[in-house]
Amino acid sequence: MNLRRQLLVVSLMTLVLPWAGCEFIRETESALRLGQQEMLASTARAIADSLSQYPEAFPTEVGGNVRAGDQLYGHPLEIEPSIDGYFEDWPLDEDALQSFGSGEQAIRYAIGLYGAYVYLFVAVPDSSPVYLPPGALPGTAAARVDRIELESLSPPYLEERFIFAAEAPGRIVTYLEAATGTTADPTVHARWQDVPGGYQLEARIPRRLLGVNLGIIVVDTDRAGDRGIGAKSFDAAVPGPFVRPSEELQDVAGKLVQPGMRLIVTDASGWRLAGAGSIGALERRSAPQVSRWRQIVYDVIVEAGADAALAEPAASGYEQQRYIRSALNGEPASDWFRAEGGAVVAVAQPVLDNGVLLGGVVLQRGTDEILSLTNRGLSRLLSISVIVTLLVAAGLIGYASWLSRRIRRLSLAAEDALAGDELNAELPSAAAKDELGDLSRSFSNVLGTLGEYNAYLRTLASKLSHELRTPLAIVSSSLDNLDHENLDNSARDYTQRAKDGAERLRRILNAMSEANRVEELMQNAELGRFDLHAVLSATAQAYRDAYPERRFEYSGEAADVEGSPELLIQMLDKLVDNAVGFSAPGDTVVLELSRFEGGVSLAVENPGPPLPDRLRGQLFDSLVSVRGQGDNRHLGLGLYVARLIAEGHGGSIAAANTDDGVRFVVSLPRAQS
Amino acid sequence: MGRRIAIVEDEAAIRDNYAAAFEREGYVVDSYPAREPALEAFAARLPDLVVIDVNLADDIEGGFELCRELRSRAEDLPIIFLTARDSEFDAVSGLRLGADDYLTKDISLPHLMARVAALFRRLEALKKPDTADSRIRRGELLIDTERMTVHWSDQPVGLTLTEFWLVHAMARYPGHVKNRQQLMDAAQAVLDDNTITSHIKRIRRKFIAVDKDFDAIETVYGMGYRWLAD
Repeated sequence: MNLRRQLLVVSLMTLVLPWAGCEFIRETESALRLGQQEMLASTARAIADSLSQYPEAFPTEVGGNVRAGDQLYGHPLEIEPSIDGYFEDWPLDEDALQSFGSGEQAIRYAIGLYGAYVYLFVAVPDSSPVYLPPGALPGTAAARVDRIELESLSPPYLEERFIFAAEAPGRIVTYLEAATGTTADPTVHARWQDVPGGYQLEARIPRRLLGVNLGIIVVDTDRAGDRGIGAKSFDAAVPGPFVRPSEELQDVAGKLVQPGMRLIVTDASGWRLAGAGSIGALERRSAPQVSRWRQIVYDVIVEAGADAALAEPAASGYEQQRYIRSALNGEPASDWFRAEGGAVVAVAQPVLDNGVLLGGVVLQRGTDEILSLTNRGLSRLLSISVIVTLLVAAGLIGYASWLSRRIRRLSLAAEDALAGDELNAELPSAAAKDELGDLSRSFSNVLGTLGEYNAYLRTLASKLSHELRTPLAIVSSSLDNLDHENLDNSARDYTQRAKDGAERLRRILNAMSEANRVEELMQNAELGRFDLHAVLSATAQAYRDAYPERRFEYSGEAADVEGSPELLIQMLDKLVDNAVGFSAPGDTVVLELSRFEGGVSLAVENPGPPLPDRLRGQLFDSLVSVRGQGDNRHLGLGLYVARLIAEGHGGSIAAANTDDGVRFVVSLPRAQS
Repeated sequence: MGRRIAIVEDEAAIRDNYAAAFEREGYVVDSYPAREPALEAFAARLPDLVVIDVNLADDIEGGFELCRELRSRAEDLPIIFLTARDSEFDAVSGLRLGADDYLTKDISLPHLMARVAALFRRLEALKKPDTADSRIRRGELLIDTERMTVHWSDQPVGLTLTEFWLVHAMARYPGHVKNRQQLMDAAQAVLDDNTITSHIKRIRRKFIAVDKDFDAIETVYGMGYRWLAD
């Protein structure tokens, strides 16, 4: 992983910023909400206390074994529906229709209250209604006809039954079946309407005729048994209570409710007895426009509330929200809902009269404070963190690029300096005051020291030979003088040996200073243009004479070069000397001169041991020798001299192992035509 | 009366060895370790030949200075540089200052003696009248082995002793290739290949200074040099 990528990863740490912001917003939001809920809860408690003063306003049940859901609920109607067999003119939502039975056979119904009347609407799916035969009575034990019965129970167990059966669709006669017998009741206004797949009944019944418990029974002769009961609105043996909103509670609620709040009073089962006020805040103010993606982010980071529609009073009149149920179980609870541009905080509180549960109080308040606050905070947080993250990432990437470019340049420069032998070259960033500057300066120092060392090594041979020459002169001149003394034969042997040794030493010293002199010659050489092929042909012959134990093969073509033939031959001498030294008597040394694009190459190839890899890079350096320790005539200067000459001619020299030997190749530029 | 040879050399052992060798040959030797005592002595009396080391202890170029001063005082005083400094540059510098020869300390004592004797012989011969039998003529080239002088087209070519012997060796048998070893032997000097090459180069230059069309010395690559017969 390169530096840039590392820093990019580091820049991801700035994402902690939005996270921390989200945490903060979440905290703020829940604190605000809790505060609102606290406030609402205390208000709701106060209201519940007030309402407990009206225990008689809460319905009481007839019979102990009422099951949940057995109740029928009367919706207060704001306008009077006409009795036409259709539900459309009721001022209620379709959702207000309750149902019993199951599946396709589900029977939907609604009960409304207007003035002194109770309105009943029932929709029965029945593909083949059986009508009442003309003149027959639709009593319980009567003829098998499809009918709807409304069972009413009044204290103390006064049971009555309104029977709606049709001789034909349209207005029908309603019969009242009581203990006293079955009679037509003209005060009840009812209409039977056939619709595709079934029929609908709408009826208006004076409220005074009805008891406290009500139940609907639908008899379908097609699917019922002898008794013909198809479906009932209640599961218990007797109908459930008829729950009606209490005018008294409504009055009290209207007084208790505060602006911007909605108060709902339910009975112990959750049926709505009164409702007052409205969650005005959301409707009053124009909701801040929340963009879609921000809403998504909002949902992700802030606890998502339920849809505000769920906070609305249940159309059926049966309040079943979880927090309300919790309150009706005696446990005050709260919830919150999110609306477009705001939130609804809701609390539910049980109404207790001396420990007896009368009902529940639901208090709701709409607020846009929380959302707008969090929303503002959120949008600022989002934009700030996006900007900061981008800035930091861009900054870090830029910084990393700059840094890595500097490092790369430094390392390239160092490599170049090492490769090119320009060890005192200026390195980049040398003036910088940071660690890279330190690194660059250290590099420069190291390279400089290396350069001095290399220069020292390069001149070591000539310096050494120079320094040794004087003591050698002392030795050899003393030996020469000794010749003139009277020496016996054995002493002469010794002086001769000493002379031989001094002579050998002299040769070594000459070889050591040769490189230096070649450099000087290179500088002073008068370069001329000549045909290397002609020179090499003659030289090859000379080598055959000089080394009779080797065979020399020369092949070449005319190739003009610019340079000093003497020096080039001196270079070739070194290479041939090397080739002869590493080959065995009888071997063939191959000399090749060939032209290539822009230059000529001169190869000297000999069979023999391959070059060791460890010396590959420094083969042509001063004082580097491949030969064994015992061979003291070779100081490793020959190839160095060859390199000096090749480079002095603007060329290069290289060595490579062949299948059975070594091949040295000198490349020289061709003479400009 | 023996000839006086002055040796200016900072290395006592070498100085004494050379002095002993010269005295054995019958010369009178004065030796000086540095420039100042030598100059003082020379002010009183000039020797017949001076052997100078270039590097005199801390006086790095002291030999060159001494040579310049001596040459300004005595035009034909034979001066030989005998030094450990074997670089081409130093040799050229020394010879430019008017030294008659530039020898490195590699040279053996017998060779050195021969060189000195030859220089004296040249000095002697210059004072004597010409004798035809000591001359070798090869076309434009005229070599006087007695005076050790070389003329090209009747103009003198100022060669050092080493250069004289090299030309002599080549010109004696025109057309014969002399290899480096043979040339080295002829010059009675221990020279390496590079030195021979630069000597030949210098000889050519000196002839070309006299005659810009000079091309009598031919390089035979890989073998040596030869004097071209006309």
